[in-house]
Amino acid sequence: MELSNIEKLLEKYFEGETTISEEEKLKVYFTGEDVSPDLEKYKPLFEYFSQESTVAPTRNITLKKNRKSWYYSIGIAASIALAVGLFFTKTAPEPNHDLGTYDDPEIALEETKKILNMVSQYMNEGKEGLVYLKEFENTKNKFIK
Amino acid sequence: MKEGAFITLTNTFKDKLFRLAKRLLVSNEEAEDATQEILLKLWRNKSKMGEYKNVEAFAMTMTKNYCYDKLKAKETGNLKIVHSNYQDDKPSLQRQLEAKDSLDWVGKIMNSLPEQQRAIIQLRDIEQYTNPEIADMLGLNETTVRVALSRGRKKIREELLKKHNYGVV
Repeated sequence: MELSNIEKLLEKYFEGETTISEEEKLKVYFTGEDVSPDLEKYKPLFEYFSQESTVAPTRNITLKKNRKSWYYSIGIAASIALAVGLFFTKTAPEPNHDLGTYDDPEIALEETKKILNMVSQYMNEGKEGLVYLKEFENTKNKFIK
Repeated sequence: MKEGAFITLTNTFKDKLFRLAKRLLVSNEEAEDATQEILLKLWRNKSKMGEYKNVEAFAMTMTKNYCYDKLKAKETGNLKIVHSNYQDDKPSLQRQLEAKDSLDWVGKIMNSLPEQQRAIIQLRDIEQYTNPEIADMLGLNETTVRVALSRGRKKIREELLKKHNYGVV
């Protein structure tokens, strides 16, 4: 094809106004042997385009091998196992209802008092440890008034 | 639809999906994953296949959306290092080395274009779809496609000439 024609097409090409068939002409021209030295610089562009149009994936793409559905079935299996496990463990031990109840209210009162006393005694013992906090307070007051 | 028929149908455009994905995601592995994912999605929705006007165009749109999502996820997931106070006037060593192989160089230029221009040039100059088809696939109007195409091509030309004249001018 004439050189001036190619140049015109190139100009149109960069304006985005060429048709597919005109672009095909350009591609044929530039991938051929006989490219004018002035236009040599555009050669890699069109060569690249035709090279890229043949690229294909190397890995075979399959439909059966579905990673997601694999996870899916594992998930279902796990949840069934969990449900079954819960069902069996929950029904196993019967709670003991004998809590050692007192029949006589007097004794019950005494026992309750004893327990409450014990609790308050432990509480007081625990509070003794807090005396040190007072020391901190004193020291702090020495510096910050 | 039987699996055999589905495979025959998708085989006609499977590579195109892959190439578009590769153009947008750059990495080979990611593009293969994308293609697989798109084909599986199509396979799962095979009952709706009859409703699509053009399965190929539909698959292309799916690929585009998938890749854009991937790119967005990457952008938010990755820490970007931006040199704002650093500029090198000379072409870097890496650039000089890359320039050796002019075809690779075109690829590099192309992959440095904005996603939209990249996708449009891929579809037009490599896959040879018409502008109306591309507009339909990418959800753009035809004028946008033409303008983006022209911009992308001019940008490639500019970079290509820069490289070509390097050391001459």
